[in-house]
Amino acid sequence: MSQTKNTTNLLWGAVALGALGVLGSYAAAGHERFWANWILWFVLLFTLGLGSLFIVALEHLVSAKWSVPIRRIPERLATLLIPSVPIGLIALAALPVLYPGSRPEAAHHPLLAGKAFWLSLPFFSVRTIISLTLCLLGLWVLVGGSLKQDATKDPAFNFRARKFAPAFMAIFALVITLIAFDWLSGLTPEWYSDIFGVYVFAGAFLSGLAATALAVLHLQDEGRLEGVRGDHLYNLGGFLFAFTVFWSYIGFAQYMLMWYANLPDEVIWYKVRLASSWRLITLTLAGLHFVLPFFALVTRDSKKDPRRLRRVAYLMLGAHVLDVYWLIFPILGAPRLSWPELSFALFFLGGILLWIRGAMQKGEDMPVGDPFLREGLEFRL
Amino acid sequence: MSETSYSVLGVFETPDALMQAIPKVRASKLGTVEAYTPYAIHGIEEALGLRRSPLGGMVLVMGILGAITAFGFQYWISAIDYPIITGGKSAGSWEAFIPIMFEVTVLFATFTAGLGMLFLLNKLPFFGHPVLSSKAIKGITRDRYVLALEAENETFDSQAAAQILRAAGAIEVEALPAPDRSPFLTSDYILRTLGGIFAACVVAGLAMYFLTKWFPVLAPMKYMQEQPRLNAQKPSSFFKDGHGMQQPVPGTVARGYLPTATGTQEEAATLVNPLPRTREVFATGRKVYTNRCEVCHGAVGNGVGSLTAAYGAKPANLQAQQFRDYPDGKLYWAIVNGKNSMPSHAPYLSEPERWAVVHYVRALQRAQNAKDEDLKVATR
Repeated sequence: MSQTKNTTNLLWGAVALGALGVLGSYAAAGHERFWANWILWFVLLFTLGLGSLFIVALEHLVSAKWSVPIRRIPERLATLLIPSVPIGLIALAALPVLYPGSRPEAAHHPLLAGKAFWLSLPFFSVRTIISLTLCLLGLWVLVGGSLKQDATKDPAFNFRARKFAPAFMAIFALVITLIAFDWLSGLTPEWYSDIFGVYVFAGAFLSGLAATALAVLHLQDEGRLEGVRGDHLYNLGGFLFAFTVFWSYIGFAQYMLMWYANLPDEVIWYKVRLASSWRLITLTLAGLHFVLPFFALVTRDSKKDPRRLRRVAYLMLGAHVLDVYWLIFPILGAPRLSWPELSFALFFLGGILLWIRGAMQKGEDMPVGDPFLREGLEFRL
Repeated sequence: MSETSYSVLGVFETPDALMQAIPKVRASKLGTVEAYTPYAIHGIEEALGLRRSPLGGMVLVMGILGAITAFGFQYWISAIDYPIITGGKSAGSWEAFIPIMFEVTVLFATFTAGLGMLFLLNKLPFFGHPVLSSKAIKGITRDRYVLALEAENETFDSQAAAQILRAAGAIEVEALPAPDRSPFLTSDYILRTLGGIFAACVVAGLAMYFLTKWFPVLAPMKYMQEQPRLNAQKPSSFFKDGHGMQQPVPGTVARGYLPTATGTQEEAATLVNPLPRTREVFATGRKVYTNRCEVCHGAVGNGVGSLTAAYGAKPANLQAQQFRDYPDGKLYWAIVNGKNSMPSHAPYLSEPERWAVVHYVRALQRAQNAKDEDLKVATR
């Protein structure tokens, strides 16, 4: 127990130190850099939470049985959507600083005039507030209902969730597209890509999966989640494997079409990312987000090997951070990595870990009221 | 159950029951243990003590080979054998190769997986397997899990085998005769299968033929015939002027035909003739001069050609001192841009042909104004 307490104190220390750095960077490192970091962590937090909620919704949508014993893990991770609401509302203050579309000049910009209303500060804020509200609604129905079922053991929840899941998928598609278009591609509003929402979805789902796999392995180390076996890990590993390929597929499809068409307003986005030191980061991203996990997970045994899975899960979370960094930071010019970025990482990582640790201690580790739990535990590949 | 039976099947209700029975049945050492299940059960090959399937490695190798093949083939076609620049991309653009590399990788990998599994590892065609005619086969393809004890030699005791299977939890036991190992085409099964496939092809072909003949309205796919397109030498409603073929945009330059000598004639004076004075160059120059210049400027370049009288204009006498003093560049400029009533010859002559004519005109001039030492050179 004292070790747990020590870790908690350490995390609080990291948060406090990070908070000092965050405040310092607002004062000393320039507003643009401060808000770029803030949006980076808002998007990471949000995609992790929403990606986890997607896993939960997917289980209900297809009535999956194998994932019932580990469902509580993505449910707990999905509660990260709650802190992402204030973080996102604060991030709205970044609009005039980083988002050209929300400045009044946009109305006279030849490329932006047509989208001026869509990109304007009020409508942007309204969309974000609606998106966050819809996420909280999904969280309330899917996760709240599941928690309540622990006590009531009422199978009615399963039917309700099964009915709600398709609607949530539509909501999910809308929300992740809006967040991706607004907060990420809105940084360069002249640029547009139809598939961008799907690209961000792939990253979000992967980060949710990786975090779920990590949390499952950690809880197993503590002797919890009894009954979760290699078969369950294999499915998580298989999902991770499949979606690294999916991410690469979407990422490359977007690149290839723009490269082929070579339209100035589209290709500039890639030109920036393939010039000078960003080129190395782009190649690193392809290596860490695709090549390495692909070959790490390609064999059958590696998908249920806890050590391998844990390393790949860490790798995927890191690659997701790099991915979002790669989406946001080129607007600041050369790649930045120094004390402001590290302070933000300390502050938010510490905060996220504290939140997850808290969530992992609450209630049952498995949805004990779910009638399919036994079937899920008996799951064989 | 006779002593001559080849194998004994034990039917189990769940994969777990099957997996638990495997070690017990293997421990009896009565024969080879084989399992038949409706789908792949993970971990069953370890339980059965089978060697690891090489299929995964084969698929990986063939997949990588597919990627390399597709890349190499496309690169060879589009960068080495017949380089065509499309869309302003350089000839060996790897980005454009990726989709086909992906497809060929998948093709090689899936074919290796499917055909390798069937023919290399499972040794098909082998249609006489007794399990196919057992009572348990319907269950095997549906929801039953079967463990078989197969005879390794003459001393196989099928009754003991049946007992072992029952003891391991089998709900039903069935003995099977030896497999039909008759050669490929003598098997009834394969003949019926091939006959069935042939009949299906004939029926489908005839049906398609008569359907499209009697019901021509039901054209299966017309999208490709009906697409809007531009045909060479044909009218089209796509463009305002009604022509399918359009003039190139003003200022269009053909590849390898960059405009030269675009300034004034004085500016062109500094241009240097890039061609060496070889026999071939003079031959080209002579041919071009004969074809395009001689009618006006005359065979010796003195401005008296066959057309001169009829045409009325006065072509330049290239033997005049003025033109003998011209630098090469100014002659070249006149060929490219034309001068006075002489039109530009740029559309008809390539860059080397123009310069070859310049050389030839120089030769004509020197021939008409030969010095003694030229004669020595010529007769040497």
